[in-house]
Formats: sequence, C-alpha cells, structure tokens
Amino acid sequence: MIRDITIGQYYPVDSVIHRLDPRTKLAGTVIFLISLFVTSSPVGYVLATLVLAGVIKLSRVPFKFMTRGLRAILIVLLLSVSFNIFLTPGTTILKIGFLRATKEGLILAGFMGLRLVYLVIGSSLMTLTTTPTQLTDGLEKSLRFLNRVGVPVHDIAMMMSIALRFIPILVEETDKIMKAQTARGADFDSGNLIQRAKAMIPLLVPLFVSAFRRASDLAMAMEARCYHGGEGRTKMHPLRYETRDRIAYLLMFVYLALMIASRFIRFRLF
Amino acid sequence: MSIRAENLSYIYNEGTVMETYAIRDVSFEIGDGTFVGLIGHTGSGKSTLIQHLNGLLKPSRGTVYFNGEDIFAEGYNMKALRGHVGLVFQYPEYQLFEEDVLTDVMFGPKNLGCSDDVAKERAIRALTQCGVDEGRFDRSPFELSGGYKRRVAIAGVIAMEPDVLILDEPTAGLDPHGRDEILGMISRLHKERKMTVILVSHSMDDVAEHADKIMVLNHGELLFYDTPREVFKHAAELESYGLSAPEITYLAADLNAAGISVDPSMSTIEEAKEEILKALGR
Repeated sequence: MIRDITIGQYYPVDSVIHRLDPRTKLAGTVIFLISLFVTSSPVGYVLATLVLAGVIKLSRVPFKFMTRGLRAILIVLLLSVSFNIFLTPGTTILKIGFLRATKEGLILAGFMGLRLVYLVIGSSLMTLTTTPTQLTDGLEKSLRFLNRVGVPVHDIAMMMSIALRFIPILVEETDKIMKAQTARGADFDSGNLIQRAKAMIPLLVPLFVSAFRRASDLAMAMEARCYHGGEGRTKMHPLRYETRDRIAYLLMFVYLALMIASRFIRFRLF
Repeated sequence: MSIRAENLSYIYNEGTVMETYAIRDVSFEIGDGTFVGLIGHTGSGKSTLIQHLNGLLKPSRGTVYFNGEDIFAEGYNMKALRGHVGLVFQYPEYQLFEEDVLTDVMFGPKNLGCSDDVAKERAIRALTQCGVDEGRFDRSPFELSGGYKRRVAIAGVIAMEPDVLILDEPTAGLDPHGRDEILGMISRLHKERKMTVILVSHSMDDVAEHADKIMVLNHGELLFYDTPREVFKHAAELESYGLSAPEITYLAADLNAAGISVDPSMSTIEEAKEEILKALGR
C-alpha cells in the first residue's frame, strides 16, 4: 500500500557503498544524474547501465527494492514516453487515428524513458544505502558555503532530517488510523470520487491532530536538551573522507569524462 | 459465535534479509461468551494476532474461522464481520475525529447501515455503558480529558454492538484509578451483554481478575492457552519469558514460604481473601 514509497527507506546491509561517506554518495548521485543528461548516444547509455548495475551489485540491495520507486513515477513515465512517440516529427511507422508514431519519436522516447528510470533508480540507490541522518549530515557539510550568502544551512538540514525521520512515523500512523477506522466499518476503497474524499475525513483529522501533537512534543524535547541551532554544535560522528571515498571520486570523474566523450563518439559514428 | 484460528502465521518482509515471523503457527478456539486475556510482552505478536481476527491483516499462512466460516475466503463479507468482531486499538483516542462526542460514536453504527435514529440510540447506550454522562455528548472529543477520550473511543466500537470485543491494551497510559474503571467497565459489558472479550495486555494483574482463560504469546508463538489457575502454575517459566505472574501468586508463594499454607494457584483477590482467612483459621 503506502509502504511502497522507497524514498527515505534505508536498506540495512553492510557494503562498500553503505560505508562510503554520504558526501561521496551525494556527489556520485549528482554526477550520475548529470551524466544522463550529458549523453545522448547508445554508447553512453550502455556505459551508464554498466555503472548502475555495478553499483547495485556492490550495494547488496536486492534489485526489486530499486524498482519500487518506479511505481510512483509510472504515470509521468507513460505520459512522457507517449508524447515523445507521437509528437516527434519524422518518418511515420504506425498510424492510429490522427496519432502518428515516428521512428525518431520511438528512439527519443526510448532514451527518455530510460533516462527517467535511471534517474529514479540512481536516487533510490542513494537513499537505500544512506540513512536519512547521514544524508542530511552530508548535505549540511557540502552546502555549508551557502551560509556566507545568508542561507541558514544548518536549520534547513535539521528540518530536512526531522521531516525524513517523520515520514515512516506518519506512514505507520496513517496505517494505524486507517485500520482503526476500518475496524469501525469505514470504507476507503469504494464509492465515487466525492464519497471517497469524504471517507478521508476520519483519516485526515486524527492524522493532523497527531502530527501537530508530535511536532509540539519534539520541539519541547529539543528545547529541554538545550538545542539552539547550529552554532558551536559538534558532531558525534564527524564526517571524514577515507581511501575508498578518494577512489570513488576518481572513478566518478573518469565516468563523467567518458560520458562527455560519448557525445563526440556519436557525432563521428553518424 | 466462536472464533477459531488455524495454523496462523504472519511474516513481515517475506523474502528479504529483514524477514521476521510476527506470529508463527498459532492455533486456538475461543468459545462463546469467554473472557480471554491475551498476554505477552512488547513485540510478542499480540497486536498482529488480534488484527487477523477481524480480517484487518491477511495471514501469510493459515486462516481464521468465525462461526465456522473461513473469513479469508473469496467473497466473505468483511464489513459484516467487523460489525460482529469489534476491535479497539491501542490508544484508541487517536482515532477520534468528529465535532462532537455523540456524532463520533455514531460513526461505527452508521457505517454498518443503521439509520440516524438507530445509530443515535446505540451511541447513547454505548456511551452510558462506558460511563460518559450526557453533559459530555455535545462536547468536542478533543477537549475531553485522556480518560474520557479513551471511554468515548471504546464506546465508538461498542456502539456497533459486536458479539466479540477485542481490546488492545485498553489501560495503557492510564493511572491506576482509570485502569480499574476501564477494566470494571469491560467486565460489566462481558456480563451484561454476554460478549466474548479478548483483552490484550502485558500485565497479568490486568487480566487475572476477570479472564476465564489466558493466552500467553512469546515471540509469536502460543505458549499457554488455559485457565488462569493452570497458567499461573508455570510462574517460573513465565518469568523466564519476561512476564510475571500476578502479585497474588507471589503473595501465595511468600505465605507458603512463611509457613501459612494457602492454595498456590489462587488468582483473584476474592479467592486470596478466602484462602488467607481459611489458613488463619477464621
């Protein structure tokens, strides 16, 4: 049900990827995402596929966890693929009514779809191998320079980690309230749109009430422990780069360089 | 109105490294009008088990029969089942949502297809039985005290007039006084309405007083399902599972050790009183 959301779902196994510094993984993800947009040649996609497959293998996270995140973007994926197939001008290969599928469109749609799928898998891979706490720690440290232009990096990072921490709690809470109301005969799955929207009230009201209660409890608990923002705050686990991180960075740049190069390979082939 | 579980297992995250049995191969039968105490400490699978009894969770293996019918069979009327088997969750006050107490309690009966009048009548009866006075009917459930919120929430399930009432730790977070009131109320419902009651708790003292039978769960497995007297004979074993026998059992043991011989399997305060008076020769 709602448990299918992969973002923020850590998969606890021990692997090289899990042990990497979160900053390395962030950088890796960003580089991977950029590389998907840099390349447009089959060679580039083959390379990206190999790298992705390799990292998945190294992470020891079962493949079916990666694809879970895809369900959420299924509609976007279908829309963009069909738009590309039918709206790209070129040689017609299939005609359905006024819709014309073109060869160019098909190729474009294929790449487009692949790009979207890899985007989701790439970012799921990061959240599956990094705990939310590590992730925000990494973000906070990588973006610290923004402090100078007046962006409250620590506060934003804290809000993010709290939000992330609360996702599973709220999911669980939703599940619980849903069950409690189902036990009272509520029906969330049938009826027309208006009936369904109405059926959400017994779920949403208690959920909001409990979210506010939790927020206020948490604020109180933080104040009781003298939280006063990021100034002068030390870390229990300060982030430090290890050899494996340096190797990872090196590999990332080699990969990015190859992906950029793949653009030119294509020009020479055609 | 019997409930029978057959080889019930529920597995979390089946097929991953996080695979765990919440309950494993549990079978039992609960007869009409029985008051069952379900005991086990945190994580023993109590809450998971009871959610199978009204079809909220689908078992990984095994099934549940209500009045001889398999509730997980294709086409079984789940909604009707939920009218027969009422389930009060832990901290039920978090499920309140309506503008006033009466309307909130009417939610259940109305879902079962009762007219407004019938639902109102049932709600008033349930609220009265749960000890909520008329003066509170028009109040917002959110401005009531914790104890009253809990009563209103329990009334919300009782108004559905179930044959079987399951309560998951109904006394959690209440003070001793609130606890006694809620337990007394449940016991009264059991007697007056001849309801089958399944009371989930981690405290033996909660259930020893009222239960006809006690079910003990440990790590998802059913250890004992017997009368309190029989179960408490295994006090040492219960302790090894992190559960304690009721205070009375310890009192009996202490008295016997001190040379005052009483029945070691006495389990209610009433029995204890008689035993001790008898032992002292009065």
